[in-house]
Amino acid sequence: MRGLHSALAVVAGLLSVAAAAWDGRAPGVAVPASVDYIAAPDLAERILRGDPAVRVWDVRSSEEFEQMHVPTARLMTLAALADEPLPAGVTAVVYANDDRRAFEAWALVRRRGHRDVRLLRQGLYEWIGRVLEPRLAADATPAERTEFERAASLSRFFGGVPRANVERREVPVGYWNGEGAQAGLAEATRNAVAGVRRRGC
Amino acid sequence: MTAPFTETGVLGPAGGLLVAPLIGFFFGWFLERGGLGYAPKLAAQFYLTDLTVFKVMFTALVTAMIGAFWLDRIGFLDLRLVYMPETFAAPQAAGGVLFGAGFLFGGLCPGTSCVAAATGRLDGLGVIAGMLAGVAAFNGAFPLVADFYASTPMGAVTITELAGVSRGAGVAIVTLAAIAGFALATRIERGRV
Repeated sequence: MRGLHSALAVVAGLLSVAAAAWDGRAPGVAVPASVDYIAAPDLAERILRGDPAVRVWDVRSSEEFEQMHVPTARLMTLAALADEPLPAGVTAVVYANDDRRAFEAWALVRRRGHRDVRLLRQGLYEWIGRVLEPRLAADATPAERTEFERAASLSRFFGGVPRANVERREVPVGYWNGEGAQAGLAEATRNAVAGVRRRGC
Repeated sequence: MTAPFTETGVLGPAGGLLVAPLIGFFFGWFLERGGLGYAPKLAAQFYLTDLTVFKVMFTALVTAMIGAFWLDRIGFLDLRLVYMPETFAAPQAAGGVLFGAGFLFGGLCPGTSCVAAATGRLDGLGVIAGMLAGVAAFNGAFPLVADFYASTPMGAVTITELAGVSRGAGVAIVTLAAIAGFALATRIERGRV
């Protein structure tokens, strides 16, 4: 029995020393499918209603936040998010320019035991594409037309410019219209923000 | 498939409720088999004559810690989804002192008191009754201690974050300290220290 205990102690010691040597490498975990998302139009409607139970946190850099952010959003670092008061009944919404950072923020809030936390997938890119500057292709399907009508009223409220009857290639691609994950999301967001700012919105 | 299963959707809320009693059963089983449902054995650690509690608890802690670290590293477990309670330094320190005093006087802690009661020991039932009375008294008196209860908040922090070392280094330090502690505990029990 004593020999077994010694062997187990050696194994534990080796695994722990290996842990110290290994640490610093990023874990190979992708964003799990169980993350709760909120679609930009749904968030926009709650902001429009003045829903007091919604808290929106932007975990991008302060420069990016200053350029443009979702109305009512507050700039937040991950460290500050760990201490932010989270009353029960609040819907916490986080967004960033890349899925991993947004997920870090989402997981941080969840880890504090707060269940109602949503991730605004594709962050400001989705906000611009689906709320601020929705576009309707000339060959749009009935479903796209319905969504556009809803988005156009939201867009006008938030000072955006809805555009109808554009060419299909001018409609932004995103997970919401079946184009899959957006590659280079940070750059696409920067371009979209620059476009909105050029138009003086 | 990534753990924790209740968070990643593999196990729904109902699945979690089914698994919890199973884990609780085996937790109680192994505590009892380890002799931790017997108050004199637990109290003996305070007199340094039997350090089983120390060994069992630190073995569980080190096993879970090394397992969680490596499962996270190979991508099977996402530690970021594991709930971590927030730290309130002063009230939790006071709670720790109260817990230790209760453990010393009763000879049992909450988990082991349930194990003792399940095996028919009256002292286990006595500790459970005291624990429930304490819970009720605390809730009744909560307005008086509410300010202290919420004082010195530190957020969801870990010792490695506070110490500024990597998580892996923390695993190594605690494991090596535990192994040294086991060796020392054995020598103490044999009266060689």
